[in-house]
Amino acid sequence: MMQLEIMLNGEPLSAEIASDALLVDVLRLNGFTGTKEGCGVGVCGVCTVLVNDLPVASCITLAALVEGSQIWTVEGLTAKDENLLNAFVEKEGMQCGICTPGQVVSCYALGLENPKANEEEIREYMSGNLCRCTGYVTITESVRQYLASK
Amino acid sequence: MIITRPTSVEAALEELADENSLAVGGGTSIGLMVKNRLIEPERLVSLNGIAALHGIEERGEGGFRLGAMTTLHELIHSPIVTASLPSLAFAAARVGNPRVRSVASIGGAIIHGDPRQDLPPVLLSLDAIAHVVGPRGGREIPLAEFFLGFMESAAEEDELVTQVTVPLRTGQRATYTRFTPGSEDDYPTVGVAVAGNLDNEGVITGAKIALGGVDATAILAHEAAEMLVGQRPSEGLFAEAAAVAAAAANPSDDQRGSEEYKRAMVAVWTRRSLARCLAL
Repeated sequence: MMQLEIMLNGEPLSAEIASDALLVDVLRLNGFTGTKEGCGVGVCGVCTVLVNDLPVASCITLAALVEGSQIWTVEGLTAKDENLLNAFVEKEGMQCGICTPGQVVSCYALGLENPKANEEEIREYMSGNLCRCTGYVTITESVRQYLASK
Repeated sequence: MIITRPTSVEAALEELADENSLAVGGGTSIGLMVKNRLIEPERLVSLNGIAALHGIEERGEGGFRLGAMTTLHELIHSPIVTASLPSLAFAAARVGNPRVRSVASIGGAIIHGDPRQDLPPVLLSLDAIAHVVGPRGGREIPLAEFFLGFMESAAEEDELVTQVTVPLRTGQRATYTRFTPGSEDDYPTVGVAVAGNLDNEGVITGAKIALGGVDATAILAHEAAEMLVGQRPSEGLFAEAAAVAAAAANPSDDQRGSEEYKRAMVAVWTRRSLARCLAL
């Protein structure tokens, strides 16, 4: 066991964790269940969180490696920026909802990295977040609306 | 397992002297291997807090220095890399997805030694050099001598890759092409990196062809590249060299294609890559 100190959604979090604990599990055990484990191998995007403003796959990230980092999850980002969730609601950028937390976090990350992204750049960036329902049209529209709000 | 975060190369080397220690960079591969119990190290030594391992520098005649912990995200967004090492920036931008590129490092890409990765063939084509330091001192290992086998490199277990340097090659053209018939975010069935120079008369004065995904390591197709030197670019020349490159490949059957298919694809994509890179 070891002590982990991070800033989670702008608040300090101190947690006792197993040294091989994965970030996704630490977040969920501390009540942040918006972040989910999907494929478990860093491919599907469902577990996406921000670490120091960059998207990472929390399902393959050893929590101990992000000691001292700023972590933001879907809960914190949607509370911080109401345009983010509104874009997905208004453009109906979801069906079953499983992939939605990851889509929302990646959308926010794209807003930080390339807020003027064009259609092709949006699709390329978001291509790492798999959705088996929507065909991506409404997700892309949601991202476009969010970027336009920046 | 314990995880430590040394802040100097010296401190990291002391910890790595213990054979049950393993250095971890971005952790995209090691995180997965630990999760799936493929490896069970007693101690993981995180390199992320070592400032000396970070940074991208342009050093004039001395070429380029890329700290081992430089992330793919940093390579993609570096004005130095995009302007002067465009095939490296292009390849980095096509690895995995943004979540991988946020943390995966150039040092990890070479020390991991997975032959399907994109950066090794590009770095081979650019004559890159791995700088390694350990208890017996430092040494420079040309990438051409670095990859020894599947996930096996010339760096010893108690050594660290501190940086990768790329020599300055004025006027060099360089491209990377990855062929992914399944999904664009898959590993390539074959990756082809080409670098070369033409003189004022349009004669090829130097060329390197490196292949990923078609042997136990990324490989240089020496014989194919040497055929180009002293010649003027032509479709016939590129097709002949591509056939020689295909004969040098040693692919194995997997879900990305049969041995025969991959060899055929080496010929096709090497020919196209040569045309993209070196045509007049």
